[in-house]
Amino acid sequence: MSDLNELHLDALTEVFSIGAGRAALSLSEIVGDEVRISVPSVQIINSEDINSATLSLSNGRFGAVNQKFSGPFNAEAVLLFTEEQALKIVSDMMGSQMSLEELAEFEHEAMCELGNIILNACLSAMADILNLTLESSLPDYTVASADEILQRLKEDSNQPYVMVLHIDLAIEKRHTAGNLVFLLSSASLTNLVTHVDQFLGNLS
Amino acid sequence: MPADCSIKKLLIVDDSKVSRMLIRTHILAQYPEWITYEAVCGEEAIALVDEDLPDYCTMDINMPGISGTDTAERILSKYPLIKLVIFSANIQETHQNRARELGTILIAKPVTEKSIALALDYFADSK
Amino acid sequence: MEDISNALNLGLIVVDAEGKVLLWNNWIAKYSNIKEANALNRPLEQAFSEPVSSAFLAALKNTLEYRLPVVLSTALHRTPLPLYSVFETTRQQARMYQSITITPIRSQLNEPCCLIQITDSSTSIKREKILRSHSELLKKEAITDSLTDICNRRFFDAHYEIAVADAKRQKHLLSVFMIDIDFFKPYNDYYGHIAGDHAIKQVADALKAQLSRATDIVARYGGEEFVLVMPHLPQQVAEQIAEKLRRAVFNLAIPHINSSPFHRVTISIGLCTGIPERDDNLLNKADAALYQAKQKGRNRYISLPLCESEEYLEQ
Repeated sequence: MSDLNELHLDALTEVFSIGAGRAALSLSEIVGDEVRISVPSVQIINSEDINSATLSLSNGRFGAVNQKFSGPFNAEAVLLFTEEQALKIVSDMMGSQMSLEELAEFEHEAMCELGNIILNACLSAMADILNLTLESSLPDYTVASADEILQRLKEDSNQPYVMVLHIDLAIEKRHTAGNLVFLLSSASLTNLVTHVDQFLGNLS
Repeated sequence: MPADCSIKKLLIVDDSKVSRMLIRTHILAQYPEWITYEAVCGEEAIALVDEDLPDYCTMDINMPGISGTDTAERILSKYPLIKLVIFSANIQETHQNRARELGTILIAKPVTEKSIALALDYFADSK
Repeated sequence: MEDISNALNLGLIVVDAEGKVLLWNNWIAKYSNIKEANALNRPLEQAFSEPVSSAFLAALKNTLEYRLPVVLSTALHRTPLPLYSVFETTRQQARMYQSITITPIRSQLNEPCCLIQITDSSTSIKREKILRSHSELLKKEAITDSLTDICNRRFFDAHYEIAVADAKRQKHLLSVFMIDIDFFKPYNDYYGHIAGDHAIKQVADALKAQLSRATDIVARYGGEEFVLVMPHLPQQVAEQIAEKLRRAVFNLAIPHINSSPFHRVTISIGLCTGIPERDDNLLNKADAALYQAKQKGRNRYISLPLCESEEYLEQ
């Protein structure tokens, strides 16, 4: 943990900003309008310290898109939006006049794709900038309460670290805030830091 | 070897320290004699340009305060001879068009040898 | 291996690192109308006779470059590849709605490749369209029975087809209830047609009042015959609902002098619950159950499981 300094976090923020830019480009091609995604901050914390405030989770239900990836470091990436926002994003992206009930039928598949676009963009940016190769599972989408999500993030003692990215997404004038959470083992965090160091080392 | 060996001044505008380091490192690797200086936001960039006029400038878009495109617009309207490129992770059409309107180019991040080469070509291409 | 890929009820394409086609299964050949021999070793975008969507090509390029799996949902893309379904009833072609996943794999020679899987999502889209146009169509009274205000036979036929296809695909239970008013002809003869129509309407209202889920549909099937389709019910629960329906009509207490022994309007119900294999099984079996209910004295339900009916049909 203490190995991670401000420069590391700055480098990671830059990596994920580039990922966000790529994701925004892909999404804008789908919706045919400008999409803005920004990653205002990256935080690394102990998973036991994670709570609803760190993830700005409110009450209600959340849609979570999940991909497991492996490579020089292994992690589970979870993209979180409130279910209500998830449905609105899907409805904006589909650009149709459907009611929320009807949309629910498409929520699963469309959210998988949205999550897949954002997660893959972040992974590809990491691969490019940190010069590594990552493999990933297909996305999975679940809807759960804030408590269930926190429980899941904390329960895996093999992954004691979480990297939390706050994500702002704006599609067609609708602003949405979500979180991208990476669950990391100690070894994986060390390897991630090593790669960031190598990258920074090449600069000086 | 670059044809133009004269010393140039380059202003790097980016809120990310790492990004600034990347741009500086790549450019100084090719032109070690160039003078670089840096701004972390649009407001600082505008003040610096008034103080010490650069030949070239690289500009990020997403920064706290005024955006890079707005900053570029203000700088270029006041100093049309500065050659400025916009470096951004966001390369959607709206941004491409905006860059074109400003008479500059938009280069996709990440900052790599390849993307730096595009910027240097643009700088070298004198009017 | 080839047998397996050709037997699958989904589209499989494998492309190499340059995007050239290495595998083109029968499903793809059938729905693209392009033979395997004409597709192999060609760049994927040229293997089809029409353009492939740019989103698909971008996704494929990404997977080839970064080796990350990609999903393209029906919701956001509809028809990325030029694949066509043929509707047997009208012989018309329509571009198939697709759900696609692109996964990086390695060939037997350990060379990087991409596996593209395509499933037909037309059925759920069709249901979406029906749902979306539901209220609009109701206004046009195109799918409503004018006497009873419940769904008509035409709506039922379309809905039933979709409900069966869904249940088949997802392997879930579907229940069909065939309902017939007991001694209806004597009722009409004695009380007259206007009273007969009124009784039908009252029964329809009583049946409709028993339904609570959006997926449950009651329709007027014929003169004094109704049909109900309900997904996801265990047989026992379906039987409880059948009893509830019977009781609801019985409790209307509509006098019927020529119906013994209760002298009121009653219904008989044939119920069949099961995971459909063939489209007509459930309806046929529910009809057979209705016949048994009539034979056994009316004002009752008879429930038959679907699995027996298959043995029965095979005999």
